[in-house]
Amino acid sequence: MITNAILILLLPLFAFVVQIFIGKRLPRQGDWLPTGAIICSFLLALPIFFDALSNYEAGHVVVQQSWEWLRFGNLEITFGIYVDNLTSIMLIVVTLISSLVHIYSIGYMQGDERYSRYFAYLCLFSFAMLGLVLVDNFFGIYCFWELVGLGSYLLIGFWFEKKSASDASKKAFITNRVGDVGMFAGIMIIFSTLGVFGFTDVFTKIADGGLSGTMLTVTGILIFFGAIGKSAQFPLHVWLPDAMEGPTPVSALIHAATMVAAGVYMVGRTFVIYTEDALLFIAIIGTITAFMAATIAIVQKDIKRVLAYSTISQLGYMMVGLGTGGYTAGLFHLTTHAFFKALLFLGSGSVIHAVHSQDMDDMGGLRKKMPITFWTFLIGTLALSGVPPFSGFWSKDAILASALEFGMNHSAYMWIFVAMLLSAGITAFYMFRLIFMTFTGQAKDQKKFDHAHESPFTMTLPLVVLAVLSVGTIWWGWIEHLLAKPELATYATVAVGAVEHSAEHGNAHLAHTIALFSSIAVAGSGILLAAVVYHWKKISAEAWGSKLKPVYNLLWNKYYFDEMYEATVIRATLWKSRIFAAFDVKIIDGFVNGIATVTSKFASLQGAIDRVGVDGMVNGVARVVGVFSNRLRTIQTGKIQTYILMALFAVLILFVLQQF
Amino acid sequence: MALSDIIRDNINSLNYFLPELLLTGLVLLMIIADLLLKKERSPWMSIIALIGSGVVLFAIINQYELGSRSIFNNMLAVDEFSIFFKLLFLATTILVIFLSIASVELSGRSVGEYFTLLMILTLGLFLMASATHMITIFIAIELVSIISFALVTYLKTRRRSSEAGLKYAIYGAFSSGLMLYGISILYGLTGTLNIYEIGEVLAGRDTNSLALLISVLLIMAGFGYKIASVPFHFWSPDVYEGAPTPITAFLSIGPKAAGFAVIIRFFNVALSNYDGVAEQWLALSNINWPQIIAVIAAATMTLGNLVAIAQDNVKRLLAYSSIAHAGYALLGVVVLSSQGVYATLFYLVVYYFMNLGAFFVVIIFQDIIGSEKIDDFKGLASRAPIPAIAMGVFLFSLTGLPPTAGFIGKFYLFAALIKAGPEFYWLAIVGLLNSVVALYYYARILKAMFFDKISEGVSPEPLKISPYYVTLLAVLGIPTILVGLYWAPLANLASHSVHFLPTF
Repeated sequence: MITNAILILLLPLFAFVVQIFIGKRLPRQGDWLPTGAIICSFLLALPIFFDALSNYEAGHVVVQQSWEWLRFGNLEITFGIYVDNLTSIMLIVVTLISSLVHIYSIGYMQGDERYSRYFAYLCLFSFAMLGLVLVDNFFGIYCFWELVGLGSYLLIGFWFEKKSASDASKKAFITNRVGDVGMFAGIMIIFSTLGVFGFTDVFTKIADGGLSGTMLTVTGILIFFGAIGKSAQFPLHVWLPDAMEGPTPVSALIHAATMVAAGVYMVGRTFVIYTEDALLFIAIIGTITAFMAATIAIVQKDIKRVLAYSTISQLGYMMVGLGTGGYTAGLFHLTTHAFFKALLFLGSGSVIHAVHSQDMDDMGGLRKKMPITFWTFLIGTLALSGVPPFSGFWSKDAILASALEFGMNHSAYMWIFVAMLLSAGITAFYMFRLIFMTFTGQAKDQKKFDHAHESPFTMTLPLVVLAVLSVGTIWWGWIEHLLAKPELATYATVAVGAVEHSAEHGNAHLAHTIALFSSIAVAGSGILLAAVVYHWKKISAEAWGSKLKPVYNLLWNKYYFDEMYEATVIRATLWKSRIFAAFDVKIIDGFVNGIATVTSKFASLQGAIDRVGVDGMVNGVARVVGVFSNRLRTIQTGKIQTYILMALFAVLILFVLQQF
Repeated sequence: MALSDIIRDNINSLNYFLPELLLTGLVLLMIIADLLLKKERSPWMSIIALIGSGVVLFAIINQYELGSRSIFNNMLAVDEFSIFFKLLFLATTILVIFLSIASVELSGRSVGEYFTLLMILTLGLFLMASATHMITIFIAIELVSIISFALVTYLKTRRRSSEAGLKYAIYGAFSSGLMLYGISILYGLTGTLNIYEIGEVLAGRDTNSLALLISVLLIMAGFGYKIASVPFHFWSPDVYEGAPTPITAFLSIGPKAAGFAVIIRFFNVALSNYDGVAEQWLALSNINWPQIIAVIAAATMTLGNLVAIAQDNVKRLLAYSSIAHAGYALLGVVVLSSQGVYATLFYLVVYYFMNLGAFFVVIIFQDIIGSEKIDDFKGLASRAPIPAIAMGVFLFSLTGLPPTAGFIGKFYLFAALIKAGPEFYWLAIVGLLNSVVALYYYARILKAMFFDKISEGVSPEPLKISPYYVTLLAVLGIPTILVGLYWAPLANLASHSVHFLPTF
């Protein structure tokens, strides 16, 4: 198993290294190498997954092994691999979706001038993401966290000739950094107080009371900052919609299924360090994110942006699930969402490939032309909207139940459940708006419509596979066991958290029943409303849009987040950096140049001493000796004598120095 | 001790002397083989040398099983410390054999005696690493020196090579004379030549500190000559430039590391008391030798780096750079702690990879473009990207930039120095400033290779680099980066090897 785990990680790395250096010279520009590597990783992940599945009691660890990485004095840092149930399912999600995206990309990226480099980047990202889920300590997760960010940066800006793409990649990277600083600070608090990085060590020490109270809450929230950045939570969500500038398969892999889910994964992995207050913070951030993003998605015209906001919204759901104590619910939704959202993105990629536009105003009526894309896309939409029996229904229902249960126990936070329920309705509405605008009705742009065609086999195959995985029934019966909550009771600090008291089991049952019916109801009404407005056109969207002009503008401008950041953070930063630049140019550079001048002067002086002094003395001695003795023999002996003389002289100096 | 005891001890020691015996046998075999084969450029000599080295390697590793012991009536020590150095020397020899096979410089000359001499040199280095008696130390050093003279002049027809050899020999004779004089004074003071007994005697009674100082300074002349530290470095630039490049590479690592082995053993055993609890040595009260070494280290680093800046020949530049690196490695000796010794050992291994690598790239370019001048390196990155990138790795490592092995090596050295207390802060500052200076001249080579335009009149055609070269570059380059990322195994080996026989 340990060999499997190591190979899963190293195969993509190997493929990346080969591909980046000689990929262009390989047959087919080397696309088969990363694709093959990641498929091998997937096959290697299967035994791990089945091992976890066959022993699914909570706390089962498949592989745990660590190696000493560095040692300074008494400080020893280890690096290792830790595979438990959560990791095993993440491994499957990452390797499977990555394999499918690699296959899909063979069709989608055909003919791109940097075709081979694209696969190298994709493989680098897969390596980083697999490292992130495999590593057994905070330090390692941070390293891979940053590597994942790098992979995302490279892929968003893949078509860097487009200014919007290069801007988007910078925006994504910088925005993520903001969250990462918090995460880094959190990790440093853990390390400075507990002295260890390993997950198990840290958890044990926290359970023993090594870190508790407010400090632990602060630590948890700081670490969660990393997830706010990477999982595009409010208020750092602004990078994700812009990240859609990257190639669509990239959006599917990175900005829907894996990287953005890394934040959720991390919260799940470190779940036991969050105190009750920290979890509440997570839940509130998640609620705001889910609701806000869902409302923005209603008015978007770009097919990928709708999906991007929907992703943000769904990530908010996962956070709410975790924050309200629904560990299983949050991670279950992560898993199902990964598959159906990847499906939706790849489906949208198929559409974009066909009509060469991302604007839904150019589409319409594509159902006939692209049947496979349509039907698979519809399955993905039903899953996302929460229609039984598709996968999204079960996972979203679990989150809603968890939020409701939390609200029943803490009536002050009932609004979380209400907002979530509302968002569920909005989700169904905007997704069916997308379906109606894209696939049904009349073609809005006849030229593009005539040009459209079904995508090649390499692109439709992943769609079909993902569509099968979006059917809910295959998740039944095992996922809640595999993702069972860690035993919080052993961790003293968290055990006091209200979410775990056994007396609340009665509520749990009731909450589930209510959530089940209400979620079906809101999803149904969302779909119905979308059909009324966009299919039967009984209500004019334009009319309502102009009637509610202020609201429409607010949503169209995404709550003015970008403008706000532009006016405050960005401008202030630019202003500050201009001051620093001036300081740098005038004072630091002056200083450095001064030193450089002095050094080079000194060096040439030394060189001169070597030339004029040593060589000169040598030549001089040679000449002097030459005058007095045999001219022919001077050159060699003259030099070595000088050497010896100087060495003796230096010994004398050392001797004299020691006398003082 | 009765004669029979002495003989019995000698016979019992043979088992522990196996690597050296095998090496001697190999040398004899090679002399005979050379006579029999008598074919110019026969590959057989290098193959015999490599197979023999492999056998010796197993014998050395086997010594870990045997355990530590003082052999031949306390003339030599077999301990983790000497085994570590023997492994390093053998690794150097094996790699230099590979470099020599590739070298165009050496082609056209009979290589039989060349490889034979190389193996004798290795034997001398083995003895240096384990010598515990002033006479064995002296003989070992002489063995190494005399063979080196012969190897440096190996290109008899090249004037610079002969000139270098002659200078080396005269300078060597001079420093050996000084060292012998120092040893004789020490013998006069203590009445013994065994370094353990010297240590006991010096610790036990108050000796004339002036005489002791003179003796130590003179002995240091012999040791300093081997590691090419200021002020005994004068021979090295001329010799490095004149010698065949594989031999230059060998001299910059083998004898230098052996010099460190002798210095550490002599100073820590004869001139200090070991405190096992604190893992720390204490210098004898009547001689402040750490300070002498500190001054030498500072002067060595500074002179090596500053003069390197003015060089326009890459080989000569690397010669000065290797003077400077001897200065860095001395930092670990100054502090007298096991952490310091461990840092020095670690650094020597790291230095092995990065310095051999840098010299190897010079060999490659010298063979292809026939020049060692920085100006002729212009634009080589576009003509031969693989050696150029490898050179970048080696030079970054020599500078001490992360994530390369050189950074970790320097880190341990400075960490040991800082930990030793404020007494040596000045030395740490000198060392850091020197690292900055070093960046300047290493970067000059990189600038010429990567950023400068190819000189006019030189064809921009890509150069053909044989797979053999690329493999050797990978063998040296990959560890240079790998150790920069994951150095725990090497660090463990080094810290394990700090243990030399504390007493006999």
